[in-house]
Amino acid sequence: MKNDFDAQDLARMTRRDFLATSASGIGTIALATMLKQDGLLAGEANIADPLAPKAPHFAPKAKAIISIYMEGAPSQMDLFDPKPKLNELDGQKLPDSLLEKVRFAFIQKEGARLMASPRKFSKHGQSGMDFSDLLPHIATCADDICMIRSMHTDQFNHHPGQLMMQCGTSMFGRPTMGAWLTYGLGSESQNLPGYVVLTAGRGTSGGASLWSSGFLPSNYAGVLFRNQGDPVLNLSNPPGITREMQHYGLDAVNDLNKMRYARVNDPEIASRINAYELAFRMQAAAPELMDISSEPQHIRDAYGIDRVEPEIKASRGGGPGQFRAFATNCLLARRLVERGVRFINIFHASWDHHSNLNNELTHNSLMADQPIAALIKDLKQRGLLDSTMVFWASEFGRTPLGENRAGFQTVSGRDHHPFAFTLWLAGGGIKGGQVVGETDDIGWNIVKDPVHVHDLHATMLNRFGLEHTKLTYRFQGRDFRLTDVAGKLVPQMMA
Amino acid sequence: MQTWFDMKRIEHAGRLAVAAAALAFAPSSGAAPTSPTAVDYARDIQPLLAKHCYSCHGPEKVKGGLRLDTKKHAFEGGDTGPAIVVGKGAESLLYKNISGANPDSIMPPKGERLSEAQVALIKSWIDAGAPWPADTEVAAAPKVDHWSFKPVQRTNPPKVRNSRWVTNPIDNFVLARLEKEKIKPSPEADRATLIRRLSMDLLGLLPKATEVEAFVKDKSPRAYEDLVDRLLASPHFGERWGRHWLDLARYADSDGYEKDTPRPYAYIYRDWVIAAINRDLPFDQFTIEQLAGDLLPNATEEQKIATGFHRNTLTNKEGGVDKEEFRCKAVVDRVSTTGTVWLGLTVACAECHTHKYDPITQKEFYQMFAFFNNADELDMPAPTPDERAKYEAAKQTWDAQQTALKKEWDAFVAADITDKLAAWEQEAQSAAVPWTMLDVKKTDATGGVALKVQADKSIVATGANPDTATYTVEAETELPGITGFRLEVLDDPDAKKGVGRSKGKNFVLNEFTVQVVGPDGKKRTVKPAQALANHSQDNYQVGGAIDGDAKSGWAIKPLYDQNHLAVFPLKEELKLSPGSKLIFTLDQKYGTQHTIAQFRLSVTATKETIAASMMPDAIAKILNTDAAQRTAKQKAELAKYYRETVDPEGAKLTQRLAEHAKKAPALPPTKAQTLVERIDQPRDTFIHIRGDFLRKGNPVEPGTLAVLNPFKPRDTTPDRLDFAKWLVDPANPLTGRVAANHVWRTLFGRGLVPTVEDFGVRGEKPSHPELLDWLASEYIRLGWSRKALVKTILMSSAYRQSSAHRPELAERDPLNTLLSRQNRYRLDAENVRDIYLSASGLLNPKIGGPSIRPPLPADIAALGYANSVKWQESPGAEKYRRGMYIFFQRTVPYPMLMTFDAPDSNVTCTRRERSNTPLQALTLMNDVVFFECSQALARRVADDESTLDEKIKHLFQSALSRQPTKPELARLKQLYFEHLVALEQQPEAATKILGLPESKDSKPKIELNANERATMVALARVVLNLDEFITRE
Repeated sequence: MKNDFDAQDLARMTRRDFLATSASGIGTIALATMLKQDGLLAGEANIADPLAPKAPHFAPKAKAIISIYMEGAPSQMDLFDPKPKLNELDGQKLPDSLLEKVRFAFIQKEGARLMASPRKFSKHGQSGMDFSDLLPHIATCADDICMIRSMHTDQFNHHPGQLMMQCGTSMFGRPTMGAWLTYGLGSESQNLPGYVVLTAGRGTSGGASLWSSGFLPSNYAGVLFRNQGDPVLNLSNPPGITREMQHYGLDAVNDLNKMRYARVNDPEIASRINAYELAFRMQAAAPELMDISSEPQHIRDAYGIDRVEPEIKASRGGGPGQFRAFATNCLLARRLVERGVRFINIFHASWDHHSNLNNELTHNSLMADQPIAALIKDLKQRGLLDSTMVFWASEFGRTPLGENRAGFQTVSGRDHHPFAFTLWLAGGGIKGGQVVGETDDIGWNIVKDPVHVHDLHATMLNRFGLEHTKLTYRFQGRDFRLTDVAGKLVPQMMA
Repeated sequence: MQTWFDMKRIEHAGRLAVAAAALAFAPSSGAAPTSPTAVDYARDIQPLLAKHCYSCHGPEKVKGGLRLDTKKHAFEGGDTGPAIVVGKGAESLLYKNISGANPDSIMPPKGERLSEAQVALIKSWIDAGAPWPADTEVAAAPKVDHWSFKPVQRTNPPKVRNSRWVTNPIDNFVLARLEKEKIKPSPEADRATLIRRLSMDLLGLLPKATEVEAFVKDKSPRAYEDLVDRLLASPHFGERWGRHWLDLARYADSDGYEKDTPRPYAYIYRDWVIAAINRDLPFDQFTIEQLAGDLLPNATEEQKIATGFHRNTLTNKEGGVDKEEFRCKAVVDRVSTTGTVWLGLTVACAECHTHKYDPITQKEFYQMFAFFNNADELDMPAPTPDERAKYEAAKQTWDAQQTALKKEWDAFVAADITDKLAAWEQEAQSAAVPWTMLDVKKTDATGGVALKVQADKSIVATGANPDTATYTVEAETELPGITGFRLEVLDDPDAKKGVGRSKGKNFVLNEFTVQVVGPDGKKRTVKPAQALANHSQDNYQVGGAIDGDAKSGWAIKPLYDQNHLAVFPLKEELKLSPGSKLIFTLDQKYGTQHTIAQFRLSVTATKETIAASMMPDAIAKILNTDAAQRTAKQKAELAKYYRETVDPEGAKLTQRLAEHAKKAPALPPTKAQTLVERIDQPRDTFIHIRGDFLRKGNPVEPGTLAVLNPFKPRDTTPDRLDFAKWLVDPANPLTGRVAANHVWRTLFGRGLVPTVEDFGVRGEKPSHPELLDWLASEYIRLGWSRKALVKTILMSSAYRQSSAHRPELAERDPLNTLLSRQNRYRLDAENVRDIYLSASGLLNPKIGGPSIRPPLPADIAALGYANSVKWQESPGAEKYRRGMYIFFQRTVPYPMLMTFDAPDSNVTCTRRERSNTPLQALTLMNDVVFFECSQALARRVADDESTLDEKIKHLFQSALSRQPTKPELARLKQLYFEHLVALEQQPEAATKILGLPESKDSKPKIELNANERATMVALARVVLNLDEFITRE
């Protein structure tokens, strides 16, 4: 074997190649295979590789999902759900009878007033889907988008709401949707984790609980890819250790583990050998994945990677560099899908606009609009959109009432609103070019086809060939599901 | 326009619509076939209930918490409330559900429905008052035939053929089962494995090479037991077993939700756990102190600190949260965690509805909730010895000064003031205006300001803070005539806020107008004769507020942080007919938020002159009382006021006392998180319908689970202490079994009941039920001594078996349920770190104290919400401390811990997963901490020995406590040469791999060149990455 064993070479290596070049002669991969053939792993076929692909319950439409999670609750009436009546009623009070029943995070009930949206809406695509002027690029994908204006959730505060959207419950310790999917379907990727998390800007309020595997084994937890340093924590060898040395070391580890296996017969050792091999392949595959220099300029431009960030004062978004980071994450998401990764979750925090809504929403939309649209189109032109679900969501929506919180200069933001909000999906067996559900004249309540978070999850799992009532895991005596004890399919969403 | 006003939460809207539709189909009451009086419970109703309902709502099953077989239970109802509303058939759930009026819940769900006539019969019976003879006997608790609810049965250890294998009764139980299956136990593990296993199980650390050698050579029959005793006495035992307990306690160093605020003193409880386990605090006492230490008679500080167990619940400080909601969440978690940890029951399932499988009603859940509902959170000062010494010294000095001042004051008080007081009373009479504070009926404000009326009748401006604002206040008074108004402008105690809402804390009151609305609705404006204030700013005299000029006005620069007042005497008395209203308008048009933050309005009917006096109303009232009529208390109050505020000497002294009080030494910052029983205004507990804290169901009294041992409270008001004692009552069938199973699980990697958290109907059954019961009873017999029970298990032959898998049994008993060998499993996350540090010699073995922060890449810490996570790396040797001391930030947990399946600590964790992932491989191969361990270990090895073989053997021995086999040695030598060749082609690599420069005092004995030394690092790295190294065999 040559000494200049570079990343590209490694990435191209298949398992078999790896074995053939392994210095010790007998390939370590062969061990797990050998064990299976010997029947030693009979009945525990997956113990060596819990992420091996598994068959779904029925034929799937979708194979992968890119979730774009806008933490904080973007304002639906300024982006997706136009409310001309609200504009007419700007500055008016809501009747006390209504105010008594609802709760707000910050709005002072006594002075609460309806607040108009300054946005201009226009119709797009064959269905004439409404988008505000903040989303001109996403609007061009209207025919692929299934917009749900009648979402509702049980949770009122951010962190519990995020858990609800990610895990189907506000309780801690439960698996996220990505964990459920990788648990149910395994991973198609030989070189990368099945569930990858990408972030831009500042952290989310939910932190690591938003990509946790909960009570599922940690094999199913999301792996956080970083924007700086190693793409995965500890991916690089320690200083001075070359890839060749790493290879020698790994071979020795595996050979010695194999000797131990011969003495103690513990199949867990085979599992460890597998894990070390995947780690070694990831060391090559992850940097290759992250290296977008191979992407042609027109692709980089389409995603807007090199855009100049505007000078909008929006300190809550996490500082400079977000435009590049977010656009890069969208492009990486496509590259991850191409490499067989099951679930990609792109997080961007800071859509919690209690004040300064206009400036901050404009800033965030400017950042997100172009790359998201580029991602949908890029997937489509590569023929990947049919099998890749794009899911744009947050934990809840915002009130048609303006904020009048103590200490605020002027009324310029909106409060939390779990009773009616908007999110959208595209591709992956979702029927585009349509709007599901309707809200009333001011966007307070749903008047048609309510979709609960459980219903949404049930439908999403269905697109992956999974019956949501059957994807269960026994924990503390109960068979848990992503959809708890609820969830009705929304046939209208299905292509 | 009409439609959007009637808005309801969507989930309710749906239900209401359906309910309304169903009502239309309900048979009208006139259609009842028989006259109400004719219905007889025993003849007509009971047979129907028995036939259609009892199978789910009877003595056997209590679905939804409802029983219909006894009067008491039927009237009490189940999770969703009473089944019968006496006299109101149509409103009764029983009728609604059997008639189909409630489509969400049609009863019976399966089997034959009641006929229309039968339904009508039941309705008319309820309409007639649901006459039901008294229950003949107290209904017995539901009968449940489930092993874990039956009393613990200590059976005699069974006879076995191979009695030589038996060390203690545990072996009889294990071997009897194996012999039944015709399986031989595994041979005893070799000595090196045993000492390694014991060290890992008891201390979570590697044995030292010298200890291994000594033990391997020690042929004495007591060698093993001596080793066990020595390890049980080690203070590291408390760390290792404490960490298990901390899993159950969901211990963490931060709040958990959103901002995830650090809890810098959470460790005080951790220290308590370690110490309690080290001194072998009996498990029953260990339990009582943690659940109810504060309620013990003469509770010690330590016992109060123990209640920190239930302070590890999450806290949500997110803006706009409902505090009661998250308080209830914490209490629910306390109940659920207690159920899981001590009872091994999933009681959490009964939060929203009666348990689907186990006999736990929702009512019982809230009865247990009641024990914790009045446990308030208290951060109790728990100074460290150092802090205590410093504080006490400072306090002594301060106390001495305080005593001196107090002496001066006492002397001053002792002096006679009769004359001075009388003189002042005379003089103060004019300032004593009898004011009456107005009851505010309504407020309004422009610009999004919300005016809120406080209990003291003041009005606070909240909500938006616009540049200008007009406040309108409507008030009523019972006075028939008024001679003046008073406007008080009040300072906020918060030093950052003043009387005004502008940046500079000022306001400008441009116009103060008063209108009277008579009972006839006619409005007229009242003109004050003049305006007086305690203080006015230059060019902003108070007169400007009533001059009709919108530009002039009253302001108060520079006295922003004190109360002010303006009074407005009238020309003549304003007569008010009953039912009149006063409307005050405060125009504030200056701009830049020059508006009033808090104010209060009063009126007076005095005939005297009205002065702008700051005298408190209470004092004015006394002065306006005839001197002869004043009570002793009033006299004393007056004298006190005079002494403290009027008399020059007294005022000065009062100020000095106040200033000295401010200088009182602050209590040391270290505080223990504790629970303390609420005495004032204890909360009543209700069932939360469907777990919703806003939907209160029936009230409940504190109580325990009927299916278990009887509850024997100390008196008629049971509390947490009674509850804790009930848990550890030897008659409790679960606590002993669950606790013994935890110990077993820790020593075998798997419980006798594998579902350690679920001993209920859905949990797995014990593999060795008699053994489990023997252990449970033995635990009690040993006085709940944890160390004694651990030792009993360690001494058994079953424990000492080899853990090598037996291929011949792989299919028959893949999970080793029969215990034909020990188990082999990867160490817990913290211990992976610990053994790396201990093998390399880097470990700092310090026990207890504040948490530490090892190196963490900046971008990981930055994932905390809004930069709330500050990760200040610990200095020096602190960063080489054991894994259990790593600061656990819940939203950004230390990655290595999570990678190796440490619990997220948001909920109780009874058993950890043991996954095997590529991230683990990357961590052990490449993480800076672990690589540093390889470097350190390699240094030791490279320095100490002579030949390559010896070096490798030493390396192997240091990490694995054994010598390499020949093939292992050969393989490592092969690696050595491969690596050396590779290094020779990379001139820079060796220095990088070696990392830190050698320190002067550890000069190598043998000079090796850098490449050879770097190669030893690579070898150490390989050995430390072996499965065997991080595995307890």
